[in-house]
Amino acid sequence: MVISPVHYIVAPLLAAFAIPLLTKIYKDAARLVPGIVLLYNVIISFVLMHYISQNGMISEVIAGWKAPWGINLVLTPFTGFLATMVSVLGFIIWLYGFRFKRTLKGGVVKYYEILQMMMVAGSIGVIITGDLFNMFVFIEIVGITAYSLTAFYRERNGAEAGFKYLLIGSLASTFLLLAILIIYTQTGTLNMAQIAERMSFVPQSMKITALIFFLIALGIEAEMFPLNTWAPDAYEQAPSPTSATFAAVVSIAGIYALVRVLFTLFDVSGVHNYLIVMGFVTMLIAEIAAISQKNLKRMLAYSSIGQVGLVLIAFGIGSKLAVLGAIFLMLNHAVIKALLFMTGSYFIYNSDDKRLIGLNGMHKQLPYVSALFSLAAFAIIGFPPFSGFWSKFYILISASDQKMLYLIIGILLITIIELVYYLRAVGRIYFAKEEMKAVAHKPSSNALLAMSLLALFIIVIGIYPDIITGYLNDAAGALLDKAHYIQQILGSK
Amino acid sequence: MKKYIIFILIAILGWTLAQTFKAIPFGADRRGDLSNPNKVAAYYLRQSPETLQTANSITAIVVNFRGFDTLGEVTVLFLAATGLASILYRKEEEDKTEVERVSLPSSSLVRTGAKILFPLILLLGIYVFVHGHLTPGGGFQGGAIIATGFLLMLITYKHFETNHNVMVWLESLAGLAFVLVGLYGLFMYGSFLQNTKSVGTLNDLISGGLIPLIYIFIGIKVGTELTNILDILLKIKPGREQ
Repeated sequence: MVISPVHYIVAPLLAAFAIPLLTKIYKDAARLVPGIVLLYNVIISFVLMHYISQNGMISEVIAGWKAPWGINLVLTPFTGFLATMVSVLGFIIWLYGFRFKRTLKGGVVKYYEILQMMMVAGSIGVIITGDLFNMFVFIEIVGITAYSLTAFYRERNGAEAGFKYLLIGSLASTFLLLAILIIYTQTGTLNMAQIAERMSFVPQSMKITALIFFLIALGIEAEMFPLNTWAPDAYEQAPSPTSATFAAVVSIAGIYALVRVLFTLFDVSGVHNYLIVMGFVTMLIAEIAAISQKNLKRMLAYSSIGQVGLVLIAFGIGSKLAVLGAIFLMLNHAVIKALLFMTGSYFIYNSDDKRLIGLNGMHKQLPYVSALFSLAAFAIIGFPPFSGFWSKFYILISASDQKMLYLIIGILLITIIELVYYLRAVGRIYFAKEEMKAVAHKPSSNALLAMSLLALFIIVIGIYPDIITGYLNDAAGALLDKAHYIQQILGSK
Repeated sequence: MKKYIIFILIAILGWTLAQTFKAIPFGADRRGDLSNPNKVAAYYLRQSPETLQTANSITAIVVNFRGFDTLGEVTVLFLAATGLASILYRKEEEDKTEVERVSLPSSSLVRTGAKILFPLILLLGIYVFVHGHLTPGGGFQGGAIIATGFLLMLITYKHFETNHNVMVWLESLAGLAFVLVGLYGLFMYGSFLQNTKSVGTLNDLISGGLIPLIYIFIGIKVGTELTNILDILLKIKPGREQ
């Protein structure tokens, strides 16, 4: 096969190393090259997804050493779907931020573009790798880029948020490394399929200790309560395209890593209930915090954490329909939250007040952006006919199949909280009395295109969810069928 | 009160960790059977002299078996340098005002000594990464040694400047070369970073196929990157507002 999953990583790496040279020849290379690379990743995603649907999963070997010995990249319907999603969103966010900092001369744009591209590439790496230590390396790549981008605006409180993120992220890395160490001493391998196979021979005490370390480390990455205190600051202080990337790309990779470790590696009972409880607490606290926020980006950040909580609940329910709902919600969260951050940042850009009051009467200056923001707000609450409705619908149905009545009531009550703060923001845009405003910064054409693409997706999937449920069904099946995963990777010995 | 609770929590955490790690025997032979390997360690120890003809099995593991991780780690270092540059970036107008390094004037003894030591340190660094597949050490260690050589010059001479252009070219080309060697494996043998079939004989300077080549690229990249980081950090003025 000409195209292999390793291209996902190699193309961005080549570009990242070449950009410092290319900018010496052509000044705008730093802006263009990441776009070309991310577009290339989108194209290979679709080619590979087509290949998987025809021939089953791919296990790509690195350096010629077969599965348990060397590092392998695994593209199942599940990881393939997530990799496709992350690639597409990475490209759209690049399109949105194409003119970002156009006024700044020379160097700094180059650094920003390299970091932004590598954050997306690292997230894809986390998703497609089949090796536990390799996953750690990619989490490091995502972490380093994320800390730097958070601190990008030193003048604001970016440095503080970045430092906070750096400290807690380093803690996560250390714990992750300890967990991998324990697993390695017990199983003598780092290949995830082989670890899963040998897990039943590991003493219970080792298993529990390793599991706790994994839960803490990956809980930090996946923004699980109470390990998510870094998230609101990082989302608020980072440049807007980066905030969108945090929501649409980085949090997806974090959830994936957590779910992969819990579903494939461990067979400890009670983990599912733990996910439901922690997911619920995460969601409840985040949404309550969101309602009291004065700052738009901070409100959106808390709302992101809330969505992650709901995803964890759905994975915790654990039935196939619930996992389908969870993956659907990951997709919706990525698309809708990216759109909210994109539109929201134009409101902030246009008012001298970063607070919610700055939204007052915005629809007169930015009618199109306001419409898109409202659409995204309705979609994320779960109004039909938008895509957000279907994911919540699947999760609630699966909960009712499992007779989890209190959970359904809880989720619906929290949705009311969500409804309140999003409608409050939309209400400010359309109905609040207008204040004196400076000349509006109209969105650039590329940003409009990026936002419209996302909005189009929300509406089309909302009306015809069948386009995507087939893929989601395969993806959910691939995640839950552990025996098939092990056999496919190790069987090709 | 809060302090004590935190202390107790840390103690519990430490105790649990100690219990777990106590159960893992220290220094015990966990490789298992070398002739019929069942764990990766045994497999690596067997394959590195046999298939790869590499005397230093750690190098074989770092560059070949888990070369993809190493590429990732090189990228982490590259991104750390990039991130640092993006945070400490100085605006154009600021650039014109001469930014001097923070360093105290050094005595002529130090200056003469540094001048003599500098080429020797560079030579040692190059030796370490060129012989990475034969003796302990390799690209990362060699690169770090080279960076210490530059650090010595940077803190001794106030006006010692690394040639920024040369550094950027070296760094980028070394990184590109690493990836291109990987792609060579992909196109020739069907797997990224795969080693060549002709690997030479064990213990020769030219042995191990592509392994020494990759380690040289890593050495150059790590050396230039660490030097860049040191250069950036030394140019921050103490107490400079933002």
